[in-house]
Amino acid sequence: MDAIRTEQLTKKYDLGWRKGRLLALDKLNLHVHEGEVYGLLGPNGSGKSTTLKLILDLISPTDGSAWLFDVPCNNVVSRLHVGFLPENPYFYRYLTGAETLVFYGKLCGMSGSSLKQRIEELLELVGLTRARDRQLSGYSKGMLQRIGLAQALIHDPKLLLLDEPTAGVDPIGSKDIRDLILRLKGMGKTVLLSSHLLAQVQDVCDRIGVLNLGQMILEGDVKSLISDQRRLSITVQDLPDDARARVEEAVRSAGASIVSVEHPQTTLESLFLEALKKDERGMGRHD
Amino acid sequence: MTNAAAVPAPSSSHDRVGFSLNRVSVIGVNTLTEAIRQKVFIFLLLVGLVFIGSAIFFSQYSLGEQEQLKVIKDTCLGVISVISTLIAIVGTAQLLPSEVENRTIYTILAKPVRRFEFLLGKFYGSVLLLVLSMAAMCLMFGAVLWIKEQSMIRELSQTYLGETQAATEQANQQIEQVRIAVLDVNMVKAVLTDLVKAMLVASVTLLVSTFSTSLVFNVAVPFMIYMAGMLRGTAVEMWSSHRLAMAVLAIVPDFGLFSLADDINLGNLVPWAHVDQVIVYGLARMVVIVVAAHLIFSRREI
Repeated sequence: MDAIRTEQLTKKYDLGWRKGRLLALDKLNLHVHEGEVYGLLGPNGSGKSTTLKLILDLISPTDGSAWLFDVPCNNVVSRLHVGFLPENPYFYRYLTGAETLVFYGKLCGMSGSSLKQRIEELLELVGLTRARDRQLSGYSKGMLQRIGLAQALIHDPKLLLLDEPTAGVDPIGSKDIRDLILRLKGMGKTVLLSSHLLAQVQDVCDRIGVLNLGQMILEGDVKSLISDQRRLSITVQDLPDDARARVEEAVRSAGASIVSVEHPQTTLESLFLEALKKDERGMGRHD
Repeated sequence: MTNAAAVPAPSSSHDRVGFSLNRVSVIGVNTLTEAIRQKVFIFLLLVGLVFIGSAIFFSQYSLGEQEQLKVIKDTCLGVISVISTLIAIVGTAQLLPSEVENRTIYTILAKPVRRFEFLLGKFYGSVLLLVLSMAAMCLMFGAVLWIKEQSMIRELSQTYLGETQAATEQANQQIEQVRIAVLDVNMVKAVLTDLVKAMLVASVTLLVSTFSTSLVFNVAVPFMIYMAGMLRGTAVEMWSSHRLAMAVLAIVPDFGLFSLADDINLGNLVPWAHVDQVIVYGLARMVVIVVAAHLIFSRREI
């Protein structure tokens, strides 16, 4: 059973009188399997948010259909097993972190000690235990994103829809969210991740789909899509110069050509995180 | 983030999602919490309380106990009626647009929450706001009446102190009349019909806000409908032969029906049967309007 299935899903927006209609999504056939992390990529206006809104029945399709765990998306039952984190989420700023989770928990029919216990677990999971009684008006962007993730997880859904979950979040917060997505995957959750950050998607996603102008233009397994079968990279350590010359000679004698020889580089993100780790005062987070 | 263990799943054995009054109540209470933080609500309520409180001073310019009490009742019931109507419009007009603008509606409707539950919850919150604000104004009204009553009794007692038996009896009669005038059940009837009227105005505002995102439009249109409803009786008499005008007037609620304050101040007895009729009319209209709001909101693209 697919966690998400769409067939010929199409959405046209009315632009107003005599302005025609905008084709936001064009016959999308999407299949997100249970337990996988699927990355939905695309430039602004490509139809990513429209897809998420259609899946959540916030807007109606012009044509085609969508299902969540084989339940039609226009049936409220389909949302029993879905958690959603919108892009740049706003919450009721006068509520504290814990009160926010109580509100969303009650909407999901939870109450009493089970809700209390769930809230404590989630605050711990997203690292907001110390900020639980602070009003959201005093939360940083990263903290709002994390409380947003907690509310999406409150009813322990099988599927998570994350729309730009790291938008505006610093590298530490971004890494935390990435780690959390991987942990959720380990727990058997299905995740649909819409993001502009390609490096992040590459790190966490099993499969990706690229949308452009409402159409799926590329889809597949991340590893097979990005690997170049004609090229081979071997990383060696402490190789003497004479040995290197022999290796290069062997490559040439085999009829292959050397494209580049260089020292491997770390990523800027790794360098940044490593520097913060070494700082004896700890990671820069005020919560 | 910490390495918390995998969280256990809450009970998820549902395969149906029925209508839930609990969800409506959760959304309603949250709406009330949000609404009472609005500066415009606090301002309107304060204005109402100040006017009701100042009725005690206005009454001093009238002669006679009964006249003074009449001024107080007239002022206070008028203020309660106007302020509750304004709170109904202003307090309800931004409920849906602000949810959409702040995108909080996305996180709520992404949960197993029906749109009707959401809409009803918002309306419930608005009604709670009206009940709360009217209760505050009625408390102030009650306090003003009590202070005036005590002051009148004190004055009458002092005036006739040490006078003849007949004068004392006259004083007692006047005190009794003051007490009767203060404990006038007609005021309860007026407040009840005002509450239903304000709820009806709130439902009209909610209906308008289901298809409009402009705050100005959401305030102006219900206000115009309210004014048209207040003049409906006169308009029906004038245009009774025009079918189109009568058809339009049939849609507009007759807000003039809810004005009992005039009858009360003229000393007319308002029978409970009439009050019941007005309340049933208001509630029936409200149900129709909320259902119409649901039909529009359930198709709205968010």
